[in-house]
Amino acid sequence: MNPRISLTVRDDGVAHLRMQDKANQNVFSDDFIRELIESLDWLAQNEQVKVLILSGLPEVFSSGADKQNLLDLCAGKIHVKDLLISERLLEMPFPVIAAMDGHAVGGGFIMAVCSDLVIAASESRYGVVFMSLGFTPGMGCTKLLAELVGPYIANEMMYTGKCFKGRELAEKGTNINYILPKAEVMPQAENIGLQISEKNVKSIRLLKQALSASKKKLLIEARVQEDTMHRISFAFPETKKMIEESYGK
Amino acid sequence: MDKEQIYAVIKKHLLENVEDLQEADIDPQKSMKDYGANSLDIIEVVSCAMRELNIKIPRSELAEIKTIDELTNKFVANSSVES
Repeated sequence: MNPRISLTVRDDGVAHLRMQDKANQNVFSDDFIRELIESLDWLAQNEQVKVLILSGLPEVFSSGADKQNLLDLCAGKIHVKDLLISERLLEMPFPVIAAMDGHAVGGGFIMAVCSDLVIAASESRYGVVFMSLGFTPGMGCTKLLAELVGPYIANEMMYTGKCFKGRELAEKGTNINYILPKAEVMPQAENIGLQISEKNVKSIRLLKQALSASKKKLLIEARVQEDTMHRISFAFPETKKMIEESYGK
Repeated sequence: MDKEQIYAVIKKHLLENVEDLQEADIDPQKSMKDYGANSLDIIEVVSCAMRELNIKIPRSELAEIKTIDELTNKFVANSSVES
């Protein structure tokens, strides 16, 4: 009755995907990833869509990986599959607006990095916490984060794992399109969505293909290095301990 | 470092990290959550304060702390004697 993802496509071509797994703070559990990928695949097939607004809960956009998946990675049981999310987002045939009124952490923030326009809230926090959990960044972070925030701020975010307030990022200066008071994030996303929806769907898709080519290439490059680093860093005995401690209540 | 100094450091980071909080409003018997701090804000306050005070306490030991005063006491107990 309460799906983890809600999906609407309006007649004007504006689609809205809302991640709303409140009980789990939009973490990438297996069920969540499956529903998210299914929704994105369905949208990619829909030829009416001109633009997608990707949003989460008002408190949290997404908190990224879930504990069990990380522990399974440590045990070598599974391979990193959340990379799928980066790939799918980059492959969307229309522009994606990440409207993050809530926090976006780790893989959750990488979803924004894989979008075409990004809107954040001054009060919410954004960070890539991979290193705080003991392992190296994934999901294309090492190559794509710099595109959104600039290379040196990307370095700071990756090495320190600090979750910055939107207003701190605004002071630093990044490529994030808008950093607004929380209540203004969704209306702004809607406004940009409407502006895009006035354009010809065929030209929108043509432009998206051209503009996303370099990011797709970066993701492929990142994957080779990140996979190797994950194989090494998830096997460190310290990593398992850090993950267990960090997620402990 | 005495309790008063440690409390001042915690308070400073609390004011820096929690939206719309005034110094006069802070009651040490309350939890940071009472002032609207979320879990990411709390992590930031605690880790910034520990860094400044040169204290290291494992997260598992911090988990049961409920109020700002309890946090201050925990820091007092773990602060080095040399200063």
